Amino acid sequence: MKFLTSAIKEYFPALNTVSAHCDGPCGIYDPASARIAAEAALSMTKKILALDPNDSSHATVNTLSRYIGIKEEQAHLAKTDLLVLWTDYFKPPHLEEYPDLHDTFWQAAKLCSAVKVEVNLEKAEELLKAIEKIHTIFWATKGREVPYYTAG
Amino acid sequence: MRQSRGKEIFLWLIRLRQRYRVTGASMRPLLTAGDEVLVDPQAYRSQPPRLGDIIIARHPDQTDLQIIKRINAVREDGYYLLRGDNSDPTQSSAFLVPDWLILGRVTSRFASVK
Repeated sequence: MKFLTSAIKEYFPALNTVSAHCDGPCGIYDPASARIAAEAALSMTKKILALDPNDSSHATVNTLSRYIGIKEEQAHLAKTDLLVLWTDYFKPPHLEEYPDLHDTFWQAAKLCSAVKVEVNLEKAEELLKAIEKIHTIFWATKGREVPYYTAG
Repeated sequence: MRQSRGKEIFLWLIRLRQRYRVTGASMRPLLTAGDEVLVDPQAYRSQPPRLGDIIIARHPDQTDLQIIKRINAVREDGYYLLRGDNSDPTQSSAFLVPDWLILGRVTSRFASVK
């Protein structure tokens, strides 16, 4: 039977192919998406802190809850973008070149969680510094010099 | 993976199995580029895909590309995490696909490259 199927394969190869290629061919990665989300979370943190904590009018409470909602959403988005970059883009050879890569991402992801859960200006700014570091490593692995910038 | 024998070949002859040629290395060592497999396109009509099944699916971003992967995780929301078998991480990456992109289950190895 094996002989028969091998002969069929040899003389009438299957026309349909299925790809077992290594990667999703899109391959588009950029730490900018995490940076934008982290900037939004930082901006919301600042806006929350600027609200008068003694003002419990409906309007202010409404504004506060909207700010909290956006801060949490954007901090979570930043974390997701970072994790995708970490697990999908970076490969073992990068780790050899940047031995603190795992720790950098781990700390950045933890900062995302802190920014999400707390109202912590210091951590929101620290997160942006971590993303700047990731930006520098990322573009260095691609052999490109891409200046870091922020929108805010 | 089982070698295609009588029943599988009969099902292929009556068009209940489709024959595909594998390209790429992400399913090594199980499947090598050039190997051919038989696929049951109706496997998931009566039951959902299961963990560990080798399946073919449409690529989530390139719908004209069909991929062969193993189901690595089943999520509650109906999405499946697909991975290659190759343990070299530069040779395989994960895909998250909804069930309607899964086209069938690989049922046997039709022929190997020599």
